[in-house]
Amino acid sequence: MADTIQSSPWTDDGIDPGAVLLNVDNISLSFGGVKAISDISFDVCKGEIRAIIGPNGAGKTSMLNVINGFYQPQEGTIMFRGKERRSMKPHQAVGQGIARTFQNVALFKGMSTLDNIMAGRSVMMKRNLFWQLLWHGPALNEEIEHREKVEEIIDFLEIKHIRRTPVGNLPYGLQKRVELGRALAMEPSLLLLDEPMAGMNLEEKEDMSRFVLDVNQQFGTTIALIEHDMGVVMDLSDRVVVLDYGKKIADGTPDEVRNNQDVIDAYLGVPH
Amino acid sequence: MFYRISGQFKTDYRSDHALFRVRQDAVLMGIILLFAWVIFPFTANEFVFQALLIPVLIYSLAALGLNILTGYAGQLSLGTGAFMGVGAYACYKLVTIFPEMNLLVAIGLSGFFAAAVGVAFGLPSLRIKGFYLAIATLAAQFFLVWLFEKWAWLYNYNASGAIQVPTIDMFGIRVAGPTASSFVQYYFVLFVVTIMTIFAINITRGHIGRTWKAVRDMDIAAELVGINLLRSKLIAFAVSSYIVGVSGALFVFLWRGAAEPNLFDIPLSFRVLFIAIIGGLGSILGNYLGAILIVALPVILNILPEMVGLEINAAVVEHLNIMIIGALIIAVLIIEPHGLARFWAIIREKLIMWPFPH
Ligand SMILES: Nc1ncnc2c1ncn2[C@@H]1O[C@H](COP(=O)(O)OP(=O)(O)O)[C@@H](O)[C@H]1O
Ligand SMILES: [Mg+2]
Repeated sequence: MADTIQSSPWTDDGIDPGAVLLNVDNISLSFGGVKAISDISFDVCKGEIRAIIGPNGAGKTSMLNVINGFYQPQEGTIMFRGKERRSMKPHQAVGQGIARTFQNVALFKGMSTLDNIMAGRSVMMKRNLFWQLLWHGPALNEEIEHREKVEEIIDFLEIKHIRRTPVGNLPYGLQKRVELGRALAMEPSLLLLDEPMAGMNLEEKEDMSRFVLDVNQQFGTTIALIEHDMGVVMDLSDRVVVLDYGKKIADGTPDEVRNNQDVIDAYLGVPH
Repeated sequence: MFYRISGQFKTDYRSDHALFRVRQDAVLMGIILLFAWVIFPFTANEFVFQALLIPVLIYSLAALGLNILTGYAGQLSLGTGAFMGVGAYACYKLVTIFPEMNLLVAIGLSGFFAAAVGVAFGLPSLRIKGFYLAIATLAAQFFLVWLFEKWAWLYNYNASGAIQVPTIDMFGIRVAGPTASSFVQYYFVLFVVTIMTIFAINITRGHIGRTWKAVRDMDIAAELVGINLLRSKLIAFAVSSYIVGVSGALFVFLWRGAAEPNLFDIPLSFRVLFIAIIGGLGSILGNYLGAILIVALPVILNILPEMVGLEINAAVVEHLNIMIIGALIIAVLIIEPHGLARFWAIIREKLIMWPFPH
């Protein structure tokens, strides 16, 4: 599985720009009696930034959890990079090149920024116990090789100064940035971002928006993004899918969605 | 832009991965090694070897093994004593079945038996966590000690039910048995402990150590960056139990000379757990500091009144001792829950700043 990442630079996942990278087809998910997602279909094309919006409880996070294998949908299929599936284990999703960040930061609190981002490369690090015991030689070489990649990401996200700080001590905005760094370290072909700007001040939001755009443009990473801030969504995304009460109510360009009556109603009806 | 800086930083990252990024640390380590390898053994008497040096080393090693599992990989174990027992009994069977076997080899192999048993009892760790896992390891503790008692083959059907360390020579030098010299045994133990410590340092700073810490800090996130939880935990159980097993073999073969099953019972498990906690979970150095506090300090406090010429009733000394050690443990845990190693880290930090507080 991991070989698929390793053998291909991260923009090259065998899908042509503009072609469908991820197709979600008639997915339904329920928890006991609660229907979190009802019969939703949409696609994400290679190279785009795809926003998923909707009021709280609409099923956005659940949708990401289905895509990266954390939840198993009762119905529907998912096609990613040409392979169709109902469900898979999270580490298989990782192996196919899906990385994500979480609505509530999910970092390794006791570890430094550097170690957190290095952890994103776990799948690619192959030296076994024997080499690790010796350390000098192949294990150290591998460590340095990945360290170089990680330092590039640290550079890119402008977090050099907190490289050695345990992430538990960092302010929330920086933690979100480290989490993005960890996801980038996985060199994903599809990056899922769950409210990357929630709880940030204006300046932090602008920084994060810039990083998201740069990741998309410089590395060609396809991004699916959940965001509440409409301004951000309109600026960043190529296409928007709107969910409400687990159903899809609109899908299109930011302008189309903005003027859609169902969307306006959903947002007026549910304060957020 | 990603390739611009690659290459030119290479030497930097290599030195960045050096064990001692501050030269003073290397000097300090050198001094400690000088004491351990030269000054202590050449100045110690029989009492110091047997009551202080050798047990501190062996307990440190046991705590190191436990610390890998609990401090680094986040899996609490209450069965350390029993896993030491697996190492000890395995070594006993090896040297009695193969009397020609080099003792170093026998001890190295006995670790694998402990590792195998550790992995077997670690299997439930994917499903159960925290206290529930601790209870499962407690079950291992009871089961194994019961096995040491009931499975007569393990102690070669001795009438006493105990294992007795035979006389063993290595390259013409007596290393185990009643007539082995403490000087030789100390070096034997020191050698094994040094090697194990180097391995532990290497593995915890590499990517396997990182996966352990990731699983410890947030297992769901670890899974979602592609870490195979079961694999990571089982490697931790294996490595930890290996080290614990080796310490158990040393415990009996290089120190106690004999062992009954109940030697490996819960009190031993808790003693090692105390050492790891007081020393500092998630630290290598802490195990040594913890063992000095828990193993050596009581011995020193016991002989202190006599040394300074105070006439105190032995029972009183004993009680004072327990009170002092108990108070110290509580004080350490209140002042610095992360243990003695964190104390040292703070002092070191201050020394680096000194004399310019920022
Ligand atoms: N693990 C779960 N167990 C039970 N209900 C859940 C679970 N995850 C989500 N839900 C429910 O699914 C619905 C959608 O939640 P979620 O996907 O988190 O919404 P959003 O991210 O759009 O705010 C909510 O009603 C929520 O309570
Ligand atoms: Mg959500």
